[in-house]
Amino acid sequence: MPGWVLRASFLTSVSIGAPWLAAAVVITFRRQVRIFGCIAALLSIIGSAALVWRAPSGESLYETLMLLFSSLNFGAILLLPRRDSETRTIAGILIILGSTLLAYSTGNLLVLLGAWILSIVPFLWTGWFRSRTWRPAVALLFSTLALTLAIGFIAANTRVVSIANLKGHNPGGVVAFALLVIAAIARKGIIPAQAWVADAAESGPLVPTALLLNGHFGALLVVKLIVPLFPETDHLFPVLSYLAIGTALFVAIRGLAENSPRRLLAFLALSQSACILSGLESRTAEGITGALVHWVVVSVSTVGLFGILRLLEVRFGENLSASRHLGLAEHAPRLAVYFAILGLALVGLPGTLGFCSEDLLIHGTLTTHPLTGLLLPIATAMNAVSFFRLFTRLFLGKRRTGFTVMTDALPRERWILAGIVLFVVLGGLFPNATVIEHSSEIDVVDEAIHTLDDVNRGAGYADNNSFTHYPIVRRSKTSTH
Amino acid sequence: MNAFQDILLCVVVAPAVVFAVFALLWLLGWTPSERFLSGITGLTFSACTGGVAALVWKISSESNITVTFGNWFAVGNYHFPLVLMMDRLSLPFLALAAVLSGLIGQFSATYLHRESGFLRFFLLLHLFAFGSLLAFAAGSFDLLAAGWEIVGITSVLLIGFFERRPAPVENGLYVFGIYRACDIGLLVGIFAMHHWAGTASFESGFPTLTGLRAVVVCLLLLLAASGKAAQVPFSGWLPRAMEGPTPSSAIFYGAISIHAGAYLLLRAQPLLAQSVLASSLVILIGAATAIHGTIVGRASADAKTSLAYATLTQVGIVFIEIGLGWRWLAVAHILGNATVRTMQYLRAPSMLHDYHQMHSAIGGQLSATGKQVEEMLPEKVQLWLYRWAVDRGHLDTIIERWVIAPLAQLSAYLSRQHRTSAPSPTTIRPGRAVHVPTAGPAQRSH
Repeated sequence: MPGWVLRASFLTSVSIGAPWLAAAVVITFRRQVRIFGCIAALLSIIGSAALVWRAPSGESLYETLMLLFSSLNFGAILLLPRRDSETRTIAGILIILGSTLLAYSTGNLLVLLGAWILSIVPFLWTGWFRSRTWRPAVALLFSTLALTLAIGFIAANTRVVSIANLKGHNPGGVVAFALLVIAAIARKGIIPAQAWVADAAESGPLVPTALLLNGHFGALLVVKLIVPLFPETDHLFPVLSYLAIGTALFVAIRGLAENSPRRLLAFLALSQSACILSGLESRTAEGITGALVHWVVVSVSTVGLFGILRLLEVRFGENLSASRHLGLAEHAPRLAVYFAILGLALVGLPGTLGFCSEDLLIHGTLTTHPLTGLLLPIATAMNAVSFFRLFTRLFLGKRRTGFTVMTDALPRERWILAGIVLFVVLGGLFPNATVIEHSSEIDVVDEAIHTLDDVNRGAGYADNNSFTHYPIVRRSKTSTH
Repeated sequence: MNAFQDILLCVVVAPAVVFAVFALLWLLGWTPSERFLSGITGLTFSACTGGVAALVWKISSESNITVTFGNWFAVGNYHFPLVLMMDRLSLPFLALAAVLSGLIGQFSATYLHRESGFLRFFLLLHLFAFGSLLAFAAGSFDLLAAGWEIVGITSVLLIGFFERRPAPVENGLYVFGIYRACDIGLLVGIFAMHHWAGTASFESGFPTLTGLRAVVVCLLLLLAASGKAAQVPFSGWLPRAMEGPTPSSAIFYGAISIHAGAYLLLRAQPLLAQSVLASSLVILIGAATAIHGTIVGRASADAKTSLAYATLTQVGIVFIEIGLGWRWLAVAHILGNATVRTMQYLRAPSMLHDYHQMHSAIGGQLSATGKQVEEMLPEKVQLWLYRWAVDRGHLDTIIERWVIAPLAQLSAYLSRQHRTSAPSPTTIRPGRAVHVPTAGPAQRSH
């Protein structure tokens, strides 16, 4: 095999280029769109897997995220019901895939901005994924505007657009920091910008919306820019954590009375993914690793859950409601079981990867914020109740008649969902061998901690250990897993 | 690992393996026959019982058996130890779980014959057995919590076993809510142990926790234990749980699950002994539950609810014993209560038949048991007490009025504030407050 095939630049180009090329082909020819989509996503998976394989130990975070997102898109394309498997849906998903992978892989601010904009284009375009309500488009545009201003401000002040060269320099000062935080808040759906997520899920296409949310661009901003670039504004970071924890609790309460399955699932996804930010901000190895593992869990589980809900809508009609028992398990027992496992994994069922991530997140967050951190397990408990209510209302109860199509999971859906469930369960049984090994080796932990250590040392904090209000727990390189 | 460590591991893992294999095969399209499934179940729990018997023999010469697998996961200074431990405290509980699971499996093979949820019941029975064995064989509170959660979720799924009727499903949801709320105590308690003692291991965690820290940890564990053991003020979920099939009621609420809270406190006994406040609270809660259980049980109209309150009364007394530090009396009490209640629950559906047989045998009616204690009270007090008992001490009403309703109202208010102006394309009915069942427990046994 020629050496250039295994070069990072080539593999990255394949991973990102294949979906875009396939999107162009799909739009042009409008035939066999699912096959083109699958092939492109598969190429992205292969490229990303090769990138993970050749990445040095401890520096494979973004490659792992690329692999995860490619796999999610592959699964989502296969899981799409035939009714949704049309040109614009597949092309839109491929555009989201390519732009998200570009955002993960780039080290350039302008490229990151370009990827960010590209990823929202399908959601602004009427006839593609644009929601029928105004909030999603406004939130996405607002976040893009904030990011554009932040990057413009940084570039104007420093004349540098390479992220590596800007690390630890507080480029743009508090203004750029604030704009980046606003962009992250708006894109991630953190309070006060939380309402658009449920609107997007309710009045937009389900599976593409799940993929948009699970790109986790807001968290990516925190990991890629906010934490490493602005160490001197660390006293402002807890605000982000408080907002994230507040969002987790607020949305969890909001979900208790929600009867629309789409909105309720969106609330669950939002509440659980808000925990990611609080973990990242905790600056403890447990919190950051928990946040990254939770990133994986939330992504995998919510794509599966949204996919199953869409399958149910296609089979049983789009007027599903959690206000009464629908008894769908009688018709679709396997879909019920997949739904239950993925939902319980999302809220931390033991034996699934969600249990590990919740455990780490709660420990990390409580270590840094003993009082506000208490809200995290409370929010998770409420989410568990909301999910279980949704499950019982959708699947249990008296069997309803009148459905014209009553098919359980088709073989194609069954195998994809079984794969997702196996990943979540095996990941939970052997967390070291699967995800935590990668996550705990991540550069972001070392970068964040080293950068802060340097700042502390410069300020004379390191020796007298007076930085205890912000406990930083360094990950032991020699710890046995 | 020596042979006995292997046996301990096999005893704990065997039900999980059976569950995983059958669940995966079913998901991929294969359904086993009833005979095959019950045969495998019998074989599994017979092997588990044999394994526990071997461990009993071994433990008579050794203080405990420990199996260490390292860490389930470890990040930074935090690690989740994967340690199984069997000592003289966990042994009776392990034996109880293995023997009763097998017994319930055999009973259910006939009881649930041709029931549509036959496979589901047996899968959940195996998962429950795994959860309880894991909780009882855990060497740390971390692993105990994992088993604890599995027991909780299987319990809830079995309450909603008869899924076509709304009442069992809604009651399952209510129990799930109580479990999750109380489990926050366990999660935060474990965090506190890690934070203050550096570990949540039974052996090494306790010596370093003293004073106020010990009190805080004890109170958090007490919250979790009270929820699981249906102690006051959480007792209202127990009669609702009677909606499940009788075999599951027997093993969950007559034997294993209901006593798991007491086991947690027994494990935390060294900490409890350091805190007069926590011990007093345990005694107080136990006494309140015992009194509540015995009064409410007298006004219960159906057999399973009466049995549930009888169990509750005894578990309340077990709490008192634990609070007083009478550890081994509590263990003996639990063993006796669990076995008797299991038998009573399993006979509950045949109670009338049993009475008829008895009457035929003695050639007449059974003689009355004599005067009841409550008859000594003034009539007005009796009436008030009766109303109080019929409403089960108003505990459900209090929780619904002061916890669930405010949350539902807050949620509905937020819903109104944030609802989009555009009409919803997917909802056929507007959002409304979460429905909380107010119906009583099962009116008939299954």
